[in-house]
Amino acid sequence: MRRQEARHYSEEELLLEIIGEAAPESRAEISAHLDACQECRSIHQEYAALVRNLGDWVVPEPSEEAWRARKALLMEHYRQDREWIRRKGLLWYLRWGALKTWDYAIENPLPTMGYIAAAVAFASERTITVFRLDWILPATGEVFKFLRQVL
Amino acid sequence: MTSTLSDEDLVEGTLEGDEYAFSELFDRYRHPVYSTAYRIIQNAEEAQDATQEIFIKLYRSLPVWSREKAKFSTWLFRLAANHAIDHWRARRRRAESQVSDDAGESAWDGYPFGEAIRSPYQEVAGREQVDEIRRCVDHLPELQKKVFILRYFDELKLDEIAELENCSLGTVKTSLFRATQSIRKALRRFRGTR
Repeated sequence: MRRQEARHYSEEELLLEIIGEAAPESRAEISAHLDACQECRSIHQEYAALVRNLGDWVVPEPSEEAWRARKALLMEHYRQDREWIRRKGLLWYLRWGALKTWDYAIENPLPTMGYIAAAVAFASERTITVFRLDWILPATGEVFKFLRQVL
Repeated sequence: MTSTLSDEDLVEGTLEGDEYAFSELFDRYRHPVYSTAYRIIQNAEEAQDATQEIFIKLYRSLPVWSREKAKFSTWLFRLAANHAIDHWRARRRRAESQVSDDAGESAWDGYPFGEAIRSPYQEVAGREQVDEIRRCVDHLPELQKKVFILRYFDELKLDEIAELENCSLGTVKTSLFRATQSIRKALRRFRGTR
């Protein structure tokens, strides 16, 4: 039995067809079904009318004068920010980088902990062997040994 | 005069501190950004404030935009929708605290729908229906509202929205459907009461 005769389409499928987001292979099937099924056709028409009606939602456009004033304020802001960046230079980029890293860490806590663990493990190994920290601070070697076991 | 420079050129210029490039970006996108903000916030003055803030946010976040990830306009519309949602959320909180202060008064009694109704731009057929749609959009959950505006008015594809929102295509489809269905139901109720 062909699909269009077997079942009605859901409202979601009909909406996706109207806005051109249905899978290409199902478009012809839906179209054929709509020709044959009054019930689905009426739902389809209702949604199609609604989507068309959205075009009537007109946004009141601000006057050119209002835009000019906004733009002047914005450009002033931009100028000040650029000046600030120029003055701060490297410091600003470092701060920006630190903030981005912090954001990433907050959003992805598990991978971040993994990176930190790997960095600590690597640093502990290198630090002890290169700088002989265990000579300077006798307990350091024990601490890193313990950390290595834990990590 | 319209600039022939691509969005990418203008972004590059803006990052290098070229005022002309940033000014061109503003002129090119002020209307769609404002429209997105207006449809979410539903107040002309506040939408203009939000538009200005969105452009400030834009040049500050430009270093993180990657052309491989999203088209500039797609990324900008998402930035605009997110900022407008934040703005709308803050206003709603203010309105709610106002309501708790003035017990008995509805949260939406003083809502500025009238502004657009009085505007000559709104003198179109089916105005009452549009107002009903606006009212309903204002009460949609945040994700539904965002997907609704980005899909129908900014004409982003559903897969683009899914990628930007970092969620599945199925979630975006369902959000859009639920939003549209709510509006359909509201319009039916509205017609039934007339």
